[in-house]
Amino acid sequence: MNSATTTTTKSRALRRFALHATSTCATQAEAYGKCILATYTDVRKDACKEEFAKFGACLRESVRLPRK
Amino acid sequence: MHRRIPLSLSRVRTFASHSPSPPSGPNTVGPYQVFDRHAKVLQRDRSATRDGGARSRTTDYVRDEVADRMIERLLDIKRKFNTILDLGSGPGHFSKLLDAEVTNKAVLLESSEKLLHRDPDSEFEVEVERIHADEERLLDVVEPNSQEAIVSCLSLHWINDLPGVLVQIKEALKPDGVFIGAMFGGDTLFELRTSLQLAELEREGGISPHVSPMTDTRDVSNLLGRAGFTLLTVDIDEVRVAYPSMFELMEDLQDMGESNAIVGRRNFIHRDTLAAASAIYKALHGNEDGSVPATFQIIWMIGWKPAPTQPKPLERGSAKKSMKDVL
Repeated sequence: MNSATTTTTKSRALRRFALHATSTCATQAEAYGKCILATYTDVRKDACKEEFAKFGACLRESVRLPRK
Repeated sequence: MHRRIPLSLSRVRTFASHSPSPPSGPNTVGPYQVFDRHAKVLQRDRSATRDGGARSRTTDYVRDEVADRMIERLLDIKRKFNTILDLGSGPGHFSKLLDAEVTNKAVLLESSEKLLHRDPDSEFEVEVERIHADEERLLDVVEPNSQEAIVSCLSLHWINDLPGVLVQIKEALKPDGVFIGAMFGGDTLFELRTSLQLAELEREGGISPHVSPMTDTRDVSNLLGRAGFTLLTVDIDEVRVAYPSMFELMEDLQDMGESNAIVGRRNFIHRDTLAAASAIYKALHGNEDGSVPATFQIIWMIGWKPAPTQPKPLERGSAKKSMKDVL
């Protein structure tokens, strides 16, 4: 079992990630969601690759810790 | 010559990626192992101890709501019980609602020791007894023909051998004893299931189980009948909860001790897939106010152990009048 500290750090990192995925990058997330919504009866790998690339880029940009 | 292999050696070795699940009990038939019961106990133990139980208590809402609806069904039975066995009780969501007019004593049976002892006896209105035992091996701890009433409030969905457990419940009941159960049905968390599947398919090109397979209403009636219960009542009900996003839902599920425990599950979801699933969840199922809904489908079942004093349908073909004459 994880020690208490690792669990907290882990959950805090995930919470920060969740915040970015749902609010910071909400526009990109919505665009990706719309793309899936349009094709969800026939989804295949990378069907919405472009939309996700933008979403992912935004996430990676915002998750990065601010440099001092 | 035939040599007897010691039991400990004959146990099949499992891969390191699967945590070992104990073999199903001698009372059960059909050892279909869908759920990792060992992992489930660990998850439930951890959920009860996280933040000293505070997290577990804040996520009681689904179980408390269902327990509340269940007590109404129990009150419909005009009978006073000496004891009621609460199978898979957790900390006793249902038993807390019992009072002296219904029963003298509640017996909680639960496989997660930490969860069983989460709440003190002072929160109950009736006398409580706690049994720490595996729900799948009910008859190991409960005598056959000994219980007046057995209830199960949202615990049967982690049972591997549902037909076997229902048979054990029937055996444990006295004649004319009643079983009332609530379990999660097939539509439970369908939003989460579909979102994760679509996200994995689009991002990774394949899917793996994240939300348990769940039972259908029709199956439940058949299973109850097959287990030998009579006067069956089966119906469905829904509890819908709105969450800010998929992440809060997943966190709450974890705090409820309801994380994935399918045998051979992937313990890992890629962050990209998780973000994609969250976006899909919102696009496909989101509410207008920006929150996302989660459906918990509840299958209710009531069955009675047969007794000579019960009203029964007549034998097939024993009718004296033809339906044709009447109509």
